[in-house]
Amino acid sequence: MEDKKLTEKESLEVITSMIARTKARYLGSGNILLMWGYLAVFSSILVWILLAATRQNVWNWLWFAIPVIGMPLTSIMARREKRTDGVVTYSDKITSHLWSIFGVSEIVLTLICLGFSLIGGIKCWTAMIVYTIIAAPFAEIAQGLIVKEKSLTWGGIVGLAIGMVLVCCVTGKIPLLANWFMPLFILFWVVMMIVPGHIINHKAKKG
Amino acid sequence: MKELNPLLHSQLRLAIMSILMNVEEADFVYLKEKTESTAGNLSVQIDKLSSAGYISVEKGMSGNRPRTLCSITEDGIKAFEEYVDVLKSYLNL
Repeated sequence: MEDKKLTEKESLEVITSMIARTKARYLGSGNILLMWGYLAVFSSILVWILLAATRQNVWNWLWFAIPVIGMPLTSIMARREKRTDGVVTYSDKITSHLWSIFGVSEIVLTLICLGFSLIGGIKCWTAMIVYTIIAAPFAEIAQGLIVKEKSLTWGGIVGLAIGMVLVCCVTGKIPLLANWFMPLFILFWVVMMIVPGHIINHKAKKG
Repeated sequence: MKELNPLLHSQLRLAIMSILMNVEEADFVYLKEKTESTAGNLSVQIDKLSSAGYISVEKGMSGNRPRTLCSITEDGIKAFEEYVDVLKSYLNL
């Protein structure tokens, strides 16, 4: 392409051709989803095993490994992806903000729960589970609809269904026993993050 | 009939503006790949659009490589929309 004068018809052709080229953008990689998915699954399995083996609630603090490891890794991986793509679209910006809002709200909720626990001696950590299993699927469904990726939308819908079952259990005062809650919680992360992550990576490889 | 904006009525500058109308920001390498232009020519046209206030250019580093990020400004959006309106009147669209 050169710095040459155009006819009106050629101008129109340049505009439509550039719009088509920017539209044909690759979906991106599913690596961040996979990182969160595997991190959550491995942390859940680890907590489950340690709780079952020792009967010590102190192992529940290991849940914090998920955000402590996941958040900085996400920042590094997102920066690297942005560098590789060379472009940020409106949908990239929206989905990035969507997950940032979710991440910040999780941090705020953690601080509130810590405050309740340390100052008032009230254990309200179940609120974290309830919030995560409802808010995360909504963010994923929205992302799926924005980027038109069915695996994200359906992963979010299945995750939301699991979340709603767990919310009913919590409000119905059904104890979240490890032998059924943990497998369901692991399934939640598998359908929400691991399956869509692998599908997106497979699509990216196919080009 | 109103005249087409001469700054936009050039193949490469129009291509750059069309891309930046569709994305939030794009780096130099992306623009070079999509417009299939040479680095020297692209750089000159980016400077012209930037001087006119149609695009903003942010120069920084990505790792140990220099990186130029471009995005369209409000004035750029207005100029592009006006250009398309005039173009439509020329083509009777």
